Amino acid sequence: MLEIDGISKRFGSTVALDGMTFTVRPGELYGFVGANGAGKTTTMRIALGVLAADAGEVRLEGRALDAASRRRIGYMPEERGLYPRMAVGTQLRYLAELRGRSAAQAREAADRWTERLGLAERRADEVQRLSLGNQQRVQLAAALVAEPDVLVLDEPFSGLDPVAVDVMSEVLRERRDAGAPVVFSSHQLELVERLCDRVGIVRAGRLVAEGAVAQLRDASAVEVVVDAPHAPPGWADGVPGVARTRDADGGTVLTLADASEATLGGVLDAARATGPVHEFRRRRPTLAEIYRDAVADHGSEVAA
Amino acid sequence: MTGALRPVLLIARREFASRVRGRAFVVGTLVVLVLLGVYAAVIATIASGDDTARVGVTGPAVALAGPLERAAPTEGLTLTVVPQPDVATGEAAVRAGDLDALVGGEPARPRVVVASEPDADLERVIVDATTTVARDGFLVARGVDPAALDAALAESGPVVVSLEPPDPQAGRRLGLGLAGAFLLFFSIQTYGAMVAQGVVEEKASRVVEIVLSSVRPWQLLLGKVLGLGAVGLLQLVVLGGAGLAVAGAAGVLAPGPGLVSTLVSVVVWYLLGFALYATVFAAAGSLVSRQEDTQSVLSPITITVLLGFVVGFNLLTSDPRGTAITVISLLPPFSPLFMPARIALGVAPVGQVVLAFVLTIAFTAVVLALGGRIYANSVLRTGARVSLREALGRGRG
Repeated sequence: MLEIDGISKRFGSTVALDGMTFTVRPGELYGFVGANGAGKTTTMRIALGVLAADAGEVRLEGRALDAASRRRIGYMPEERGLYPRMAVGTQLRYLAELRGRSAAQAREAADRWTERLGLAERRADEVQRLSLGNQQRVQLAAALVAEPDVLVLDEPFSGLDPVAVDVMSEVLRERRDAGAPVVFSSHQLELVERLCDRVGIVRAGRLVAEGAVAQLRDASAVEVVVDAPHAPPGWADGVPGVARTRDADGGTVLTLADASEATLGGVLDAARATGPVHEFRRRRPTLAEIYRDAVADHGSEVAA
Repeated sequence: MTGALRPVLLIARREFASRVRGRAFVVGTLVVLVLLGVYAAVIATIASGDDTARVGVTGPAVALAGPLERAAPTEGLTLTVVPQPDVATGEAAVRAGDLDALVGGEPARPRVVVASEPDADLERVIVDATTTVARDGFLVARGVDPAALDAALAESGPVVVSLEPPDPQAGRRLGLGLAGAFLLFFSIQTYGAMVAQGVVEEKASRVVEIVLSSVRPWQLLLGKVLGLGAVGLLQLVVLGGAGLAVAGAAGVLAPGPGLVSTLVSVVVWYLLGFALYATVFAAAGSLVSRQEDTQSVLSPITITVLLGFVVGFNLLTSDPRGTAITVISLLPPFSPLFMPARIALGVAPVGQVVLAFVLTIAFTAVVLALGGRIYANSVLRTGARVSLREALGRGRG
């Protein structure tokens, strides 16, 4: 279990993190989303000990992280980087050994991950001779080669081709299923929605929403889509429980105060009263919409 | 090889392997070796190229043959006297270059025919010979035996009492000391700059973030300094060894206890000097993020070292016992360059060596603390150059 507990960090007069708190459980894939500059990268850097926090603590299995336990975290920094003139295989073995693996373990893991990620033919090549896509795969291998118990990946999907995205997704699920806490940040919200067990939405250095995507959906406003072709404009005004209406999705989208039988029934009756009803369904917001709402709730503040 | 030290050794091993296998190291070392060989060959030719001269004698001047041959060794000249049948034949031989000079006519006042200008040494030999002939004639005319005068003169002369006997090896020691100082300067500059480049390369390629998520900054810094220091030491040993082999083969240098202690002190001072300078270079390198900016932060350091080296080198050759070089060799940043040279020269009292050693270690410790702090604070900062004030500020430890 990886716990980020009340982490704050300032850079000069800029507040980068303001009491950032969340927990990634074992066997959980946690999506970390937020605008650029919201504090995702800073959080991850602090978790890896690359930056020092001004306040707060990062714990792994209940104990504050130290140099030894940090080596159990597989890390993919946002700023990708490898030794350009070092061969792929040598480099992976080196990085694994730096994280405390024995020479034999490092060799075995480097061979296995290069094989798995389709880089077996390129082991002897210098990293700088690889295509960008292949360099990304080496970067992923670098995060995995020390057999980490935890994965912290900053934008692991950026710059990947579709095949590599599939490989990456598969690897993340696999590590999750093996019981590792896995956290990654991404701007690709459909991907986060598809992959993650839980999502944390970060804004201006703190978490503004957190939970399983389904929970976040339930917590967000109840909407129904009604397609009643003969309904006049404003037909739903005044129906009890209807907060807002707008035209979208090939019909009228009604935002309801609650999802009770009475409210839903009242709306359906009002729709039937206008003539035939072609569609009447509960509308599930996408993660992107939840994200926009979460960020818009704080619209008065300037997004960092 | 456990705990905090294993990463340091891994890093050192990587630095060592990636440099020694690199083409630059192999080619660079070979080029320096070839230059060293050429230099040694030139020196050997000059040293072994004894002055030789062929002088023709003709007519009454044949009497000069003996005095000429006796005078030649005092001027370091190997002289061959070749009697000529007549002046015309002799002049032709001079013109053809077979003879350096033709001496003819009256022995006390001969005519010397040369191609253009007489060789200075040869001219002195001829003057010696004519003086001897004139003196002997004068003495014989007055009934004095020239040999008796020579015997009397040979008995005369001062007896010099040296309070400090001169070192017969002084020249060789100076050569060894200067060569050592030069090699140290060369190694420290080259490999110190390499440390800075390595630091900047890691920053520029961003790999430093991955490395620093596995190890502490001091481990990375120490590993780098150790690894590159070992490469520098290897090159120092290769070059120094080749130099000694050449010198030994040329008979310039005889192995002895003085030689061994000089070599040991050069290596010890190299290690100390390298730790000192490499840390400074690493800290400087960590302030910038691009290779293009490296020079701007390194120049102040390299120029300081260069100036110190040039001044110290001149003092060492002109006045190795002087106050100025003594002071410079006691100042920590320059001790590693000049103390081994002064030790080799045998002009450094033990007290001074110990003082310089202690001062350098203390100074290096301060530099390591400050440099490590600058490095840790700056190495993850990309973009604009980090100011020294920021770099020295509160770090992550």
